[in-house]
Amino acid sequence: MIELRNLTKSFRTPAGRKVLFRDVNAFFPEGKNIGILGRNGAGKTTLLRIMGGIDYPDSGRVITDQRISWPMGLSGGFQGSMTGRENAAFVCGLHGIWGSAKRKVLDRVQDFAEIGDYFDAPVKSYSSGMRSRLAFGLSIAVDFDYYLVDEVMSVGDAHFKHKCEQVIEEKRKSANFIIVAHSMPTLKKNCDVGLYLGPSGLQIFDTVDEAIRLYQQGLPKPAQNSPAQP
Amino acid sequence: MYPGIQRSPWQIQRDVIRALLIREMKTRFGKWRLGYAWVLLEPAMHILLLAAIFSFTGAEFYPGIPTMLFMLGGIAPFIVFSNCFSKGVAAVESNRGLFNYRQLRPFDAVLSRVLLEFAIYLFSLVVLLGILAWFGISARFNDFLLLVVINLLFFGFCLGISLTMCVMGTKFPEASKFAPMIVRPLYFISGVFFSLEQVPEEYHGYLSWNPLLHMIELTREGLFASYHGMFANLPYLATSSLVMLAFGLLVYRSQWRDLVRSQ
Repeated sequence: MIELRNLTKSFRTPAGRKVLFRDVNAFFPEGKNIGILGRNGAGKTTLLRIMGGIDYPDSGRVITDQRISWPMGLSGGFQGSMTGRENAAFVCGLHGIWGSAKRKVLDRVQDFAEIGDYFDAPVKSYSSGMRSRLAFGLSIAVDFDYYLVDEVMSVGDAHFKHKCEQVIEEKRKSANFIIVAHSMPTLKKNCDVGLYLGPSGLQIFDTVDEAIRLYQQGLPKPAQNSPAQP
Repeated sequence: MYPGIQRSPWQIQRDVIRALLIREMKTRFGKWRLGYAWVLLEPAMHILLLAAIFSFTGAEFYPGIPTMLFMLGGIAPFIVFSNCFSKGVAAVESNRGLFNYRQLRPFDAVLSRVLLEFAIYLFSLVVLLGILAWFGISARFNDFLLLVVINLLFFGFCLGISLTMCVMGTKFPEASKFAPMIVRPLYFISGVFFSLEQVPEEYHGYLSWNPLLHMIELTREGLFASYHGMFANLPYLATSSLVMLAFGLLVYRSQWRDLVRSQ
């Protein structure tokens, strides 16, 4: 269960405060995958992070009894001078995973990331692809009720992409996702509930298709004339 | 692996601090040659340099206490204070990436740094005293209980200062420019290399407002039997520490969401 209660969020801009959404109330029962749509700068990521307890609204609350992950595939928290293993162990520690459970998780990360011996090399020596492999592997290896996905289903090469899709398919059986994406097929495939962040604030739909329809109405004219699916 | 099913807030706090401490140790000392030896070498070099300078200037600084020990008693607490102060200012900026983990908030970053700072301080103080004693530079030990009490108080003081500076440094980024300007003069008026009784009496009234001076005087008094910190005032140190801690906690509590919130 995730409940949004009177959620308001605004940003400071040189031209005054820009309100992303005001007094949003919503209730998502367990087992719903949530998709968030909107133009760039509409506040999709901010909403995702607020729901994940990482960012905070101006007023209102997010109430939940679910374990919510950090944004999947996020590598910003890595410390360059520590090895991949040490970084992964740190994240395990934060989540209360120590000892033999930690070793199991680390093995899973190493398996999934496929970075071989580099797992014991400092993260600063990684290429950006290796970094995201490690980050993605870490997100996968720790189990949550809800995973936050912020347009990162497309890291790495084709082989790795395929692997990610498989794993997410697998995860969907035991966990749910909150997804921010611009790719409509991804949203259609993975989400039940659609949130549309438009100029008039946040709108919530019981199916993601309705949100997609509204989002595509907002597209410029040429796109409407030739109704090719993106 | 499920993250420890339904951890209590205390368990989460403990896990976060433990993970952060390991991380801090690794990043701070892991990358250097000699590794953890720097825990000792850092303060040791500082103390030796100062002690060397003042040994040249002449006779014993304080009757009955070798100059080296006198300096050690002054500089060790000061390094803790100065580190807590400057690390507090940068605590949020340098840990931005970590706040993507919802259980890790600026408080944890500050608390773990202050804890580590203290652990290093106490460890290096004991070891350096031991090494100096081995070389024959020693003085009669005075009061263990006093040392325990003042260090507990000092811990509160440093945590309070660090939390305050963490909020200040984030709300007003310019604070990082002023931080060294505040710490540096304190070095000269906190009794790092003098004792209050060596200062003309007319200045006592001003200097004794500084809690750091009392901490240093009391540290020396606790360490050395022949030291008389006759102007050191334990109740004053206690009051100012508790006030500082309460102030830091209040400031943090009222502002902490703003430290992480996107504006």
